[in-house]
Amino acid sequence: MSYSGKDIDPITLSVVRGVLETTQREMTLTLEKTARSSVFNLAHDYSTALFNHEPEMILQGQDIPIHLGSLIPAMKAVDKFFEGQISEGDLVLHNDPDYAGSHIIDTCMYYPVFYKGELVFWTVCKGHLTDIGGPVPAGYNPAATEIYAEGLRIPPIKIWDKGVPRDDILNMLFTNMRARRDQEGDFNALIGACKVGARNLIGLLDKYGKEVVQDCIDELLAMAENHMRSMIKQVPDGTYNGMAILEDAGHGFGDMEITAEVTIKDDNCHIKIDSPPQIPYFINSYEGNSYSGVYLGLMMFAQLPPPYNEGLYRCISVDMGEKGTLCNAKSPAPHANCTTTPMETLTDAVRLAFEKAAPDKVSASWGHANGCNIAGWDTRHDEEYVTMVLASIISGAGATAEQDGWHAVGPECCFGALTSGDIEMLEYSYPIIIHRYSLMEDSGGAGKFRGGSGTCWEVEPLDKPMTMITFGEGRRIPAMGAGGAKSEFVEAKVGRLRITRDGEETIIKENVIEQILPGQKAANMNPGGGGFGNPFERDIDRILQDIKNGLVSKKGAELDYGVVFSDFDNLQVDADATQALRAKHV
Amino acid sequence: MAQKYRLGIDAGGTFTDFILSKPDGDVQIFKVLSTPHEPTEAIKNGLAEIEARAGVTATELVSQSDLCINGTTVGLNALITHNGAKTGLICTRGHEDSIEIRLGHKEDGYRYDPHYPPAVMLSPRYLRKGVDERVISTGEVRIPMNEDDVRAACELFKKEAVESVVVSFVWSVLHPEHEQRAAEIVREMLPDVHLTVGSKLYPQVREYTRTSTALVNAYLAPILQKYVGAIDAYFQSLGADKPVRFFQSNGGLALGSTVAEQAVYAINSGPASAPQAATFIAEPWKDENIITIDMGGTSFDITLAHEGKANLNKNIDFLRYRIGIPMIQVETLGAGGGSIGWIDQMGLLQMGPQSAGSEPGPACYGKGGELPTTTDANLVLGYLSPKGLVGGRLELDQDKASNAIKSKIADPLDLTLERAAYGMFTIVNNNMVNGIRRVSVERGYDPRDFVLMGAGGATGAHITALANEIGINRILISKLASGLCAYGQIISDVKYNFMAPAPYRLDSENVANKLQGLFDGLEHKGNDQLAKDGFTEKDIHITRTLDMRYTGQVHECTVEVDAFDITAESLKSLEEAFHARHEELYMYSERHSAIEVVNVESTIIGKIDRPERMKQAKGSGADSAKTGTRQVVFSSDGARIETPIYDGSKLGAGDHIEGPAVLEEETTTIVLDPQWKLTLSDSAVYELVKKN
Repeated sequence: MSYSGKDIDPITLSVVRGVLETTQREMTLTLEKTARSSVFNLAHDYSTALFNHEPEMILQGQDIPIHLGSLIPAMKAVDKFFEGQISEGDLVLHNDPDYAGSHIIDTCMYYPVFYKGELVFWTVCKGHLTDIGGPVPAGYNPAATEIYAEGLRIPPIKIWDKGVPRDDILNMLFTNMRARRDQEGDFNALIGACKVGARNLIGLLDKYGKEVVQDCIDELLAMAENHMRSMIKQVPDGTYNGMAILEDAGHGFGDMEITAEVTIKDDNCHIKIDSPPQIPYFINSYEGNSYSGVYLGLMMFAQLPPPYNEGLYRCISVDMGEKGTLCNAKSPAPHANCTTTPMETLTDAVRLAFEKAAPDKVSASWGHANGCNIAGWDTRHDEEYVTMVLASIISGAGATAEQDGWHAVGPECCFGALTSGDIEMLEYSYPIIIHRYSLMEDSGGAGKFRGGSGTCWEVEPLDKPMTMITFGEGRRIPAMGAGGAKSEFVEAKVGRLRITRDGEETIIKENVIEQILPGQKAANMNPGGGGFGNPFERDIDRILQDIKNGLVSKKGAELDYGVVFSDFDNLQVDADATQALRAKHV
Repeated sequence: MAQKYRLGIDAGGTFTDFILSKPDGDVQIFKVLSTPHEPTEAIKNGLAEIEARAGVTATELVSQSDLCINGTTVGLNALITHNGAKTGLICTRGHEDSIEIRLGHKEDGYRYDPHYPPAVMLSPRYLRKGVDERVISTGEVRIPMNEDDVRAACELFKKEAVESVVVSFVWSVLHPEHEQRAAEIVREMLPDVHLTVGSKLYPQVREYTRTSTALVNAYLAPILQKYVGAIDAYFQSLGADKPVRFFQSNGGLALGSTVAEQAVYAINSGPASAPQAATFIAEPWKDENIITIDMGGTSFDITLAHEGKANLNKNIDFLRYRIGIPMIQVETLGAGGGSIGWIDQMGLLQMGPQSAGSEPGPACYGKGGELPTTTDANLVLGYLSPKGLVGGRLELDQDKASNAIKSKIADPLDLTLERAAYGMFTIVNNNMVNGIRRVSVERGYDPRDFVLMGAGGATGAHITALANEIGINRILISKLASGLCAYGQIISDVKYNFMAPAPYRLDSENVANKLQGLFDGLEHKGNDQLAKDGFTEKDIHITRTLDMRYTGQVHECTVEVDAFDITAESLKSLEEAFHARHEELYMYSERHSAIEVVNVESTIIGKIDRPERMKQAKGSGADSAKTGTRQVVFSSDGARIETPIYDGSKLGAGDHIEGPAVLEEETTTIVLDPQWKLTLSDSAVYELVKKN
């Protein structure tokens, strides 16, 4: 019995699967351990994948979800661009969204793996560099009205030609980027990862021969397809709509609606996206990137365990809406913020449509990214520094139908794959003092199961002014609950930036570029995750536990959970009054 | 410091193993059931067993022995079951949550899993108290410490009856004075609690790792203290005049008082002595590159020694808690005799990690287990004798094994019984091979340059197949394989790690002197400690490691060097060692880039005399050990081959067997596939070599 119709030895099949997973893992490890930029090595903002010659994605790593969906169309675009011109020893570089890149700061390498003179596989990595040139350090320019004002667009180019590095091209690229040493180091890390992957795949081909390996891979793709189809088949046929509101993060174009219409027919699923026209602000998403957002919404619902490959999406068709819209942007729309905004809202819309189809299966939304990039001069080494601070975007996870959301594993678009980095390592790498990196009271969405807590990251520059550029949203609309969850105490659950100058606090809820001087502090706060189920059904003991641990305040307990205290200081609850109050809401 | 006997005791989850080495080179293994609630009980029982079988009384034995104990399960179980001490944390204000934020990461493999719970906090949030104080990355004090904050935390801890306290501040490694002063206040206000100070326990850069390591230590220390106290008192009552030595996860022994203070070092010490034992056993062949595999009922442990030195891990997640101190790298997989075969949601055959354990156990045990396991597959394939394990004390039911495999694996996958069983065998082997890659390839070693060492009772059935898969062509299996870890302890040295932060670029001024100064300081402390343990200079050996990286990188490569004088010239060899290591690991180096050091460490070793090596009397040919034949499967087509069976206890030194063959011993079975041959050596070790 096989899904692909080929004669497969089930044992060899399992072995091939194991080797593919080990290969991807070793590629990821290489990136983590050797990279220069904290975005790679501390934050794990990178992804690796394997493709066959077609090229179909044969193994998707468990890295950043928002990278991985887009690697599928990106690899195909690169393959098409160089059709018939790929030789052994070539190495392709690309970042441009017109060729299905995500945002240009995410730089991809594609390494063709040849076996006995024939192209058999591609090993691919994508990583978020700390800079890609352009007017604003770190690539996020809230003032950009065109992609040209965001940084260097790189269509597919060969940076190695038949094994020979094209140093002139590389030099041109690095010359246009800040913190050149870091960028060169990160290129080396990406190349190292591609080579480690190729070495393993050749070992696999040596062992079983090309045909057996390819048959096994075809079978793995067919199995994943079958897996997703069986899951879709359990969803009742019909058309379901999810609409999520993207808040105005300071651009002045107002709130926007993103709609996902999910149509289930037997074991097929069609997802149609509708979004407003693109705007001259950095939150437009080109089609390749939007695939990631749609697939993440699907996976939040499908909850399938690994392995992941392109077969999963064979029964899924996506219509990203009209060209020139927010989720299907066309050149020269600015887009640097697109991997988080509007992607997390798009993911929510898709998730919400599935919630309508199968209300018991979904998880609540996770906190959206609302973070910052920093840049300035490091007097300790007399050199410039620039980086995205992933520790500044760590939000809470959504609750599920079984448990409270995890604290501090968001944002939604990364789904726990990031790491924020050790604070001593961040202070060692950049001239900053991190005064606070903590959970936040009342930030988790209310629900029978509470959303996870968001985080506060507070920084002061060491001795020179620091430029801080903020991005994202989720500063007015909290993470969406599921299963009837609703929060009353909203202001504690949304993101915001708090700047303290001479003892005076300013709260900022828009994307801005600010100068922070030594002695001043900027605290970036990230939202908690959405809750699941009616908060008035939450167990009183669990609420008291949360109060004891400083995760819920008196106000939060009263407003969000309908708890009435007879003596708050000793955590004494007025049981009758509480019951009466709660009864009104159940 | 040699004594007449040497006794190693390894308290495992199910069995406590005793290994007794006698002056004539004879080594014996004894096993009794573990008594986790009263560890001295099992020791008492074991000593009685030794008296009955070896004729040495407990008093005679104890007064004339070097004693080595492994308390691995005490700490480990407390961590697994979350039954450690009630622990409070005093930290820099604003950083109370770093151990709950856990770098903002959710473990891979559970990305979309709605059920996977967060890690249990070893110190709940209400017992984590921040104080005003701050040191910055340059080592300067930005905010002086507010002592009243420390006192307020102590008041709370007193009220809450906290048993163990951690003091861990940001950048305390560059300026330990704040932690030291806070520690004084804690001692003064809470004289009875156990106290762990971050920069003292683990003086290395990385706040999260340091605080987490300190918390694990604090959580376990009171428990270890009690355990060590009970053991020491028991042996003193039997007339021991020397202190008992305890085994640590860094691969060396330590005094009980040290283990109680540094409980985190005792955490996974069980399998950590394997590389030591393996290196000793392989010495007659001059093998120094050894991968040791130990397959038991539920798990499979892999360790590696390269050029005689064991792989070390630092800064890893262990049971979901970040631990920084160096631990022998032990890769543990859920792959053992009890691992269950199943077909996943995609329709792929999988083995484990679920295990049938010993109750109900594999289907063939006939204790009610109905799921097919590795042991069932091995029985169907003819690797195990239907007469059973442990010298016939545990009978195996061939029909039950066949039925389980047929209904759960063979029929759903449309395979014959033999092909299904061989498939299960292959998948479990494949899982093990991937684990072996993690300790070898991922650490920059080619496994084909290694000899494979078997340990544990279940390994022998898989070992030639595993070697085939990895490309290894020599295997060693000692007659002591089933008690290899206990054996490792009695041949181990005393070992302490001393660490310091060393954030220097190698191209900066005066760096050679600074490094040499740091090492001198560490090694001075180490020599002092070993002198207290009774070691003299000639028995003390020192190795050094430096965590190095290219400037701008954040993760380090650990480079190990001998204790040579660091000068401007010898610095070059440090650089070269780093480039080479980076290239081994990641397939490139950057010879033009500046290099920096982050942390340094000296390992101080007190050498202990080795016991005599085991001796095997000469044999008279393998034919006399042949007991019959069985039909055994060696290939994926499921074909059965008539295969001779040998009784290992009847073989002598020099006896030789050609595969295919199955060799049975009381506690282990070795399956020799047709590509292999075997010889028993005069040190009681089976050497298996691939033909041609």
